[in-house]
Amino acid sequence: MKRIATIALLLFASVPVVHAKGDDFNSVVKMIEDFYRVKHVGIPFLAKAGMKVATTAARIKGGTARRLAEAGSIKLAVFENQEFNGDFAKFRSSLNQALNETWMPLIQTVAAAGEEQTYIFLRNAGDKTNVLVITIEGRDATVVQVTLSAKNLALLLKDPEGTGKAITEEATLIDQE
Amino acid sequence: MKSSFNKHLIALLLIITSAFVAKAQDTRIQMNSLDHLAAKANQTVDVNVDERLMKLAARLFSDKDEDELKVKKLIEGLKGIYVKSFEFETEGQYVAADLEPIRAQLRGAGWTRLVNVISKKEGNVEVYLQFAGEMVNGLAVLHTDDKELTVVNIVGPVNLDKLAQLEGQMGIPDLGIESPKAKKKTNEQ
Repeated sequence: MKRIATIALLLFASVPVVHAKGDDFNSVVKMIEDFYRVKHVGIPFLAKAGMKVATTAARIKGGTARRLAEAGSIKLAVFENQEFNGDFAKFRSSLNQALNETWMPLIQTVAAAGEEQTYIFLRNAGDKTNVLVITIEGRDATVVQVTLSAKNLALLLKDPEGTGKAITEEATLIDQE
Repeated sequence: MKSSFNKHLIALLLIITSAFVAKAQDTRIQMNSLDHLAAKANQTVDVNVDERLMKLAARLFSDKDEDELKVKKLIEGLKGIYVKSFEFETEGQYVAADLEPIRAQLRGAGWTRLVNVISKKEGNVEVYLQFAGEMVNGLAVLHTDDKELTVVNIVGPVNLDKLAQLEGQMGIPDLGIESPKAKKKTNEQ
C-alpha cells in the first residue's frame, strides 16, 4: 500500500497540464453506461483551471482535491453503488474494438467472474503518453485518463498492474477527501 | 539485359522480405484459442506490449534517467511481450486439448524446447526458443499447474538471462526461472 502511494505521488507530482486529446474518454464512459445501464457521477475534471476546478470539485465532493489539481490534465468519471451485471467478455471485446485504432492495450485483468475488471490503454501524446485506466470493482467503477511523462511511463511499463491501481486509487482517494 | 537483372533482383528481395515477415509472424504465438477459459477462471490477466508500444518507449526514454534507462535496456530490440494467464478456483478447469493450439505453434519451424530449465514455480514450466540460425528470434514459456495456466511470449532477441530480468516486470509473472548466470555462480561456490 505504501509502495502504491509512493508511485502515485511520483506520478502526479510531475504531470504537467496537457489538454486531453479526442473524445475517447467520453466514449468509454458512455459505453459503460449503455452496456451496464448505469450512470456516472460527473465532475468536469480538466485541471486547466487549476485550483478553481479543484475548489469546485472539492465543494461537490467535500474534499480538497489539491494534489489532483496540481497534477495537470486528468479526466475522471466515477460510477458509485450500481449494478454491473453483464457478459464481461462481450464488454471487453466492445471496449477493445472501440479503442483499437488510437489506443494500445497494455494490461487487462478480470477476476471473480467479471466483478473485478481492470483495463489499461496507452496513447502517444507527443513527448508524453495518455493513459486510460478503466476499473470495475463490485458495485463501483472508475474511468481515469491521465497524461504521463516518460519517467512515469517507465514506472507503468515496469509494473503495469501496480501503477494502474495507483492511478485509480489516487484519483478516487482525492475524490473521497 | 539490365532490365531483366533488375526484375530478378526485385523478385529476390521480395522473397527475402516475405521470408523475414513470415519468420516475425511465426515468433508471435496466437493465444486467442485460450480465451474461452476466461469464463471458468477466477482471475485472467492479458498483457499486450506490442511493437508500437516498444517503439514509443524507446523513443521517449532518456539515457540520463536511471529508471528510464533500465527499462530501455530491458526492452532493447524486443518487438513484443504478450502474456495470458488464468487462475482457477478448482482443478480440472482446463484440459490438454485446450493447450493443443499453442503446442502446435511451438512444434513449428525454428522452435526448440529448452531442457534443464530450473524453475522454483510449482507445476510444470516449459521454455521454448525460436532460432533463426544462431540468432534467437523469440521465446515462449508455458506454465501449467492444476489451478493455473500461463503463456508468455516474448518476440525479439531474448535469452534466459533476459527472461529472468523481465520476470515480475512488464506484466510478466514471476516464474522463478533460474538464469544461467545465477546457476553458474551457484555452481562455482
